[in-house]
Amino acid sequence: MKVVYNWLKEFVAVSATPQELASRLALSGTNIGGIENGPHGAVIDAEVSSNRPDCLGHYGIAREVGAIYKLPLKHVSPKPPESAARAVDAVRVEIQAPELCGRFTARVIRGVKIQPSPKWLKDRLEASGVASISNIVDVSNYVMLELGHALHAFDYDKVRDHKIVVRNAKPGEKIRTLDGVERQFAPHKERQLAPDKDRQLDSSICMICDGDGSRAVGIGGIMGGTETEISFSTKNVLIECAWFEPIAIRRATRFLKLHTEASTRFGRDADPEMAELASRRCAELILQLAGGELLSGVVDIFPGKRAPKKIRVTRAEILRVMGADVPDKEIEAGLGALGFAPVRIDQNRGAAGSLLAAWECTQPSWRAEVEREIDLIEEIARIYGLDKFPPRLPAARQGAARLPQFESETRLRERLIGLGYLEILTIPHVAEERDALFRPEGVVPARLSNPLSEEASVLRSTGIVTMAAALEWNLNHGQRNARLFEIGRHYRLQGFESVEARVLTIGATGEAREKGLYDSAREYSFADLKGDLDAIGELTGGFNWKHDGAHWLSPARAAHLSIPENSRDALALGVAGQLSKRIADKLKLRQEIFLAELDLDLLYSSYYRVKQTRRYKPLPRFPAVERDFSLVFKDSGVTFRQIAGAIYHLNIPEIESIQAMDLYRGKNLPPGTFSLMIRVTLQSREGTLTESRIAEISAKLLEPLKYTWGAELRAS
Amino acid sequence: MYLTAMSSAENPTEKTLAELRVRTPESVTSLFAELREKANKEQRRIEKAEQFEQFRVKWVGRKSGILTQVTDNWLKPADAGLKRIVGQALNEFRNHLQSLVEQARQDLDARATQVADTRERVDLSLPGVIRPIGSHHLIRQVFQEIEDIFFSIGFSVVEGPEIETPYYNFEALNIPEFHPVRDDMDTFYIDLPKGAPVPLLLRTHTSPMQIRTMEKQKPPVRVIVPGKVYRRDNPDATHSFMFHQVEGLAVDTDITFCDFTGTIEYFVKQFFGPSVKTRFRPSYFPFTEPSVEFDASCSFCGGTGTAAAGGTCSKCKGAAWIELFGAGMVDPAVYGFVNYDAKKVSGFAFGIGIDRLAMLKYGIDDIQVFFQNDVRFLRQFP
Repeated sequence: MKVVYNWLKEFVAVSATPQELASRLALSGTNIGGIENGPHGAVIDAEVSSNRPDCLGHYGIAREVGAIYKLPLKHVSPKPPESAARAVDAVRVEIQAPELCGRFTARVIRGVKIQPSPKWLKDRLEASGVASISNIVDVSNYVMLELGHALHAFDYDKVRDHKIVVRNAKPGEKIRTLDGVERQFAPHKERQLAPDKDRQLDSSICMICDGDGSRAVGIGGIMGGTETEISFSTKNVLIECAWFEPIAIRRATRFLKLHTEASTRFGRDADPEMAELASRRCAELILQLAGGELLSGVVDIFPGKRAPKKIRVTRAEILRVMGADVPDKEIEAGLGALGFAPVRIDQNRGAAGSLLAAWECTQPSWRAEVEREIDLIEEIARIYGLDKFPPRLPAARQGAARLPQFESETRLRERLIGLGYLEILTIPHVAEERDALFRPEGVVPARLSNPLSEEASVLRSTGIVTMAAALEWNLNHGQRNARLFEIGRHYRLQGFESVEARVLTIGATGEAREKGLYDSAREYSFADLKGDLDAIGELTGGFNWKHDGAHWLSPARAAHLSIPENSRDALALGVAGQLSKRIADKLKLRQEIFLAELDLDLLYSSYYRVKQTRRYKPLPRFPAVERDFSLVFKDSGVTFRQIAGAIYHLNIPEIESIQAMDLYRGKNLPPGTFSLMIRVTLQSREGTLTESRIAEISAKLLEPLKYTWGAELRAS
Repeated sequence: MYLTAMSSAENPTEKTLAELRVRTPESVTSLFAELREKANKEQRRIEKAEQFEQFRVKWVGRKSGILTQVTDNWLKPADAGLKRIVGQALNEFRNHLQSLVEQARQDLDARATQVADTRERVDLSLPGVIRPIGSHHLIRQVFQEIEDIFFSIGFSVVEGPEIETPYYNFEALNIPEFHPVRDDMDTFYIDLPKGAPVPLLLRTHTSPMQIRTMEKQKPPVRVIVPGKVYRRDNPDATHSFMFHQVEGLAVDTDITFCDFTGTIEYFVKQFFGPSVKTRFRPSYFPFTEPSVEFDASCSFCGGTGTAAAGGTCSKCKGAAWIELFGAGMVDPAVYGFVNYDAKKVSGFAFGIGIDRLAMLKYGIDDIQVFFQNDVRFLRQFP
C-alpha cells in the first residue's frame, strides 16, 4: 500500500516528517518497505499485514497515525446532491448467494461525461502506482485507495433489465474479464494443488450477473467483465459497492490464479459498513468530475449485517500477559483512537490505576479480527509502545536437556573431522532418475505432488544421492580431492506414512594425501574408507564387515556393515564401498568415488550401550615382545580374519594382538601364492617373557596355519 | 712435533732447577709464572679441535707433557730447601692447566653448536606436515552456537519430523485453510497413494514442534527446535526452498512479554555482541499475539546506516536496523489445541532463520553456497 503523505494529511493533521512518521508507523505495527520522494511528494510504502484490511486505504492509515500522535481523525461524510428520481426505481438487486455476498449497494448517476481525469487525480493515482483510464474508473480507484474499499462502475445501459443478480458460478461458465482474458470455470480438469479436500471451487466463486441472471458481468470481489464496461460513450453509470465473504474470495483467487486490488481487500475481510459510505464518496466525486445527476437513495441489500461485538479487557490480564502496566489514560486514548470506544465497567471506576480496572469495548466494523481480550491487549501495547515494557531474563525452573543423541553425535563429528572429512548440508529434493540409481530395492520414495521442477521432485530415499551430487559439484569445479560427510535424514514412504531416518553419509574421492614437502601423493582407496569407518566403529565396539553392499557399488569393493548385538546376531548398520563404474560413467564422474551410508539411530544406541560396559584395563607391568612371521599361503580365499582367528583360537594367554604388516604377491614367490607378514604381540601379566617361552609360543601358533592352509614360513 | 722442534735452550722444563741455577723461592715463583703465562697465551690461540688436542697433549699429556716434565725435572730432584715451595707451585700450576683445558673444551663445543645451529636453522616460512582436518558446516556451527546460548538459560533441545500433517503445520497453529498467511508459505505436498487418510506436507516452519511438544508435556515448557524447513520459493541469492530455523517456545504460569523480550535480547547480545541494540516492532502471525518482528542494530555500520567508507551501509541499506526474525506471545487459541488452560499459562515463541543469520554474521551474499558444498567454501570455516 503506497501511502501518499499529502493525501494522508487530508485526514489527520500530522506534522511529523515522512521519515519520522514512517518510523513511528513501523514501531506501532505498520511495516514500512521504504520511502520515496517523487514528483508528488513523499510516498511511504506500507507493507500492511494480512489481518489489517482497514489499512489498505489512506483513511485507515490516518486512523493509525491519529492513535500514535493523539490527533483527531477527520471523518469522511460525503453529502452529494441527489435528484428527485429514486435509485430503487432505476435498478434492482437480487442476492441469490448470501453466503458469498453479504452486502450489495447500488447507486445510479445519469448523464455523466466521460473524459480524462484532472491533473490532481492523475497525480494521486500515479503516486499510488495506478494507471489513469477515465474519470469514472479513476474515481472508483481513488475511493478504493482512500477508504480501502473496492468499487466497480458499470455502464448502466449495458446492464440488461437494469437488474443485478448475485449468484454462485456454474461449471463451465464463461466470462471475459476486464484484463481481456476469457475465463472458463472447468475446475474438474484443473490440477488440485493442495490435495486436502475435494473442492467444488466453481460454485464458491461469486458471479455478478444481469437480467435474468444468465449472463455474468463480473466476478464478485475480484474483477469486472467487459460486457458492461465503462467506455467513452457511457452516459449513465451504476456504482457497485459490495462486501464479499473473505474465505470464498481467497479460494477463488487461488483457483483462478487472479489476484487484484479488489480481491486483496475483500480476501482480508473488508469492512461491510464501509460499502455504503464508499459508494456515496464515489458518487460525490463523479458528480464533481463527470457531472450528471445522482438518483436519490441507494439500493442496499445487506443480508450479512453484523451485530457489533462487546469485548472486555482488564488490567489484571494486561499485567499477566505483558508483565508491566499501562496507565489508564493511555489505554483509553489508544483504544478510543482506534475506534474501540472503551468504557470503564469495574466497581472502582473512580480509581485510576486500579488493579481491578476493566473496560468494555465495542468492536468497530473495520476490525473484525479483534474479538478477544488478547487482541485488545495487543492494540493497547502497540500504540503505547513495546519499548515501554522492560526486558528481563526469566528464571529457569528446570534443568535443560540436550538432544538424546547429543553426546554420541558430538563424538562422531569429532572423529570425522579429525579424520579430515568436511561436513556438508544438502537440500533433499532430487530428480527421480537420480534417486532411482541409488534407491534400495522395495523402498517407496516420498515424491512431491507439486515440485518446482523435475530436478527436485523426489525427497532422497538415501543420503548417497545428494552426497554423489556434492562430489560431482566439486569435480566439476576443479576440486578433485574431497572427503565429505553429512549427518542428515533420508525420507521414505510406508503406506500412507512417511519415515525419516537419521543417516551418516560419507563420500570421498581424489587424493587421501596430497603431495607435499615431506610426503608423496597417495590416492584415496577402499582401505582409507575402511580404516576411517573402523575408527568410527571404535565408538561402538567395532563393526562387522561382509561382502556384498548395494547394487550401486562395485562388486569387488562393496561391503555390508553391521554391529554385533550379541554373540549370534548382528544388526544391519549400512553399506560402504566404491561406486560402480556403471553409475560413475552415467554421472560422468571420471575418478574413483567411495561412498558409505550408516544408520545413525543404531550407531548412537550402540555407542551408549558400549559406553555403559567400558571398563579400565590395568596397564601391563612387564614388557611386551613383538614377533614377525612372514608366511606364504596358497590363493585359496583364506582371509586375514580367518588366520588371526585360528591363532586366537589357540587361547594362548600371552597373545595380545595380531596385526597384518605386509601383503605381497609376485616376484620371488611361486605363482598362485601370496605372502602375508603378521606381527604378533606377546604380553604376559605374570612376568617378563623368557626366550624359551617365546620360542614355544612361536612354534605353537604356526601349527594351525600349517595344518589348515599349508602355510609356510618364508625364508628371509 | 712442536715440542721436538723446540730447542732445549728454549725449554727450561727439560732441565733441573739446579741446571737453571734457580736457588731461591722467589725465582721458583717467577719460573712458574713464566710457564703459566705461556700456557695462557697458547690456550687463547685455540680455534679448532686439532689445536685443542695439541695443546692438551703438550701441557698435560701423561708421557711427555710439560706438567710431567716439571714433576720429573723440577720437583723430584729439587733441593730439600726448595722442594716444598716447588710442590706447592706445581699443584697450583696443575689446577690452572686443568681449568685452561676445560675452558678451551667448552669454548670449542659452544662454537661448534653455534655453527651447527646457524647452518641447520629451519625455514619457518615453509609449511609443516599438513594433516588435513575436516570442518563443521557453517550452518551447523551457527546452530550449535544458538543451541548453546539457549541451553545456558534453561532451554532443552528437541527435534521433529520434516514431513508433517497440515494439522501440525497449520491448523493447530491457528492457521485454518485459506488463511491469508498460507499464501506466504507456499507449501510442498507429498504425493500419497489414493485413499490416504491425512495429507502430508514438508513443514514450512519449525513451529509444528510447538504443538508436538505441548501435547507431550505439561508446563513449564522451554524448548528450542533446530531443523530444516521448506517453502516452495524459486531459488535465488536470498531464497532457497530448503532452509534452517531454530524454533523457541517457553510456556509457564508466569511468563510475560517482558520475559520474552529479555530472553530475545539476551540471545542477540550473546550472538552478535554486547554493543548490539535491539528493538521490537509489532507484527502479525496467527499463532502469536502480541506478535513482533525483532530487529537488531546493524552490526556492520554500528547502527548508523552509513558504511565505514562512506555511503549507505549495504547490509541494512541505510536503515541502521536489520530485521532478524518473527516472534511473539503464544496466541491463546493455540493452547486450545493442546489442552492447556489459556487463563493460567502464558508463553512466548520465536522462529529464527539460521541461514539468514549466518549470511549476516559472515557476510555471505548468496544462500546457495551453503548447499553447493564446494570444498573451497567448506574449508573457509574450520
